[in-house]
Amino acid sequence: MNGTRDIDDTAASDPDGSFDPREAAKLLDQTTRQARRRLDLSSPQLSLVGATAALLALGAVWLSVRGQHPYKGPTAAGLLVMYGILACWIATAVTFQRRALSGVSGRSVRQQRAFGAAIVTALVAVSVFQGVLHHDGVSNAIVYGIYPLTAQLIAMGAVAAGLQAAREDWPAFGIAIAVMCVAAGGAFAGPRGVWLIDGIGLCVVVLGYSVAQAWLRRR
Amino acid sequence: MTLDALDPLIHVPARLQIVATLAALPEGDALSFPRLQDLIGLTPGNLITHLRKLEDAGYLATEKSGNGPASRTSVALTHRGRAALNTYTAAIRRLLDGL
Repeated sequence: MNGTRDIDDTAASDPDGSFDPREAAKLLDQTTRQARRRLDLSSPQLSLVGATAALLALGAVWLSVRGQHPYKGPTAAGLLVMYGILACWIATAVTFQRRALSGVSGRSVRQQRAFGAAIVTALVAVSVFQGVLHHDGVSNAIVYGIYPLTAQLIAMGAVAAGLQAAREDWPAFGIAIAVMCVAAGGAFAGPRGVWLIDGIGLCVVVLGYSVAQAWLRRR
Repeated sequence: MTLDALDPLIHVPARLQIVATLAALPEGDALSFPRLQDLIGLTPGNLITHLRKLEDAGYLATEKSGNGPASRTSVALTHRGRAALNTYTAAIRRLLDGL
């Protein structure tokens, strides 16, 4: 069979049949690193793509609203670019995670499914509430400016923080908290600036995570 | 410290790879037989032989679901297996420090 090999109890051992402890330590380290890398649900490269996608998607919306006086909301072209970039990013992330979870069953898979359901529910709830705000005559600056991005990021950050706390993945937990801080802080930039500030903030946070992941993998 | 301090069940290249790979999964997760084979690169017959030895020692648990061609075997490291790998890792570090 291609790519497979036979190793019996004495293979890769010294001529006298013993398995050199130095070789064993090296094999243990290599195997652990390789398994973690191939079973990991995220990677520094994936985070790098996510950081770029966040900056480009929110930057596109900012370009479409920055000259509006009074504020009306993102244009159709701005939204199209944003959703297009987000769709590409989601497809990339889902493909990567499916590959990592291939053949894996148990707690991680159940957690990932529950996380997906919680995120979708949170995003639908945020959108429903946005409709309520519009229906009650709240200004466009809130309904189509400050509220949607801020609320979605805080909701997604809270759900992600809960999952990462359960998994005891503290770097990822820190990123989820940082996303909520960016969202809350970005709201002070107003309906136009919120898109740019959140885009830059998310890009910086996710880039930092990408660097941290790369460093943790090299240790 | 001598080589005798190293668990003979784990201190074999193929079984060390199996245990280290399964330990990379979070506790409570299992790996299908084909994915484990893909990660380690052993032939199916060889992998089965080593899995049996580890299962007999209580280091891992296998679970078969489904029937016929659709059947699927999953392998997971037990609490005992994880503890054995931790002990083995500590022993090998002490051994190498002493060299």
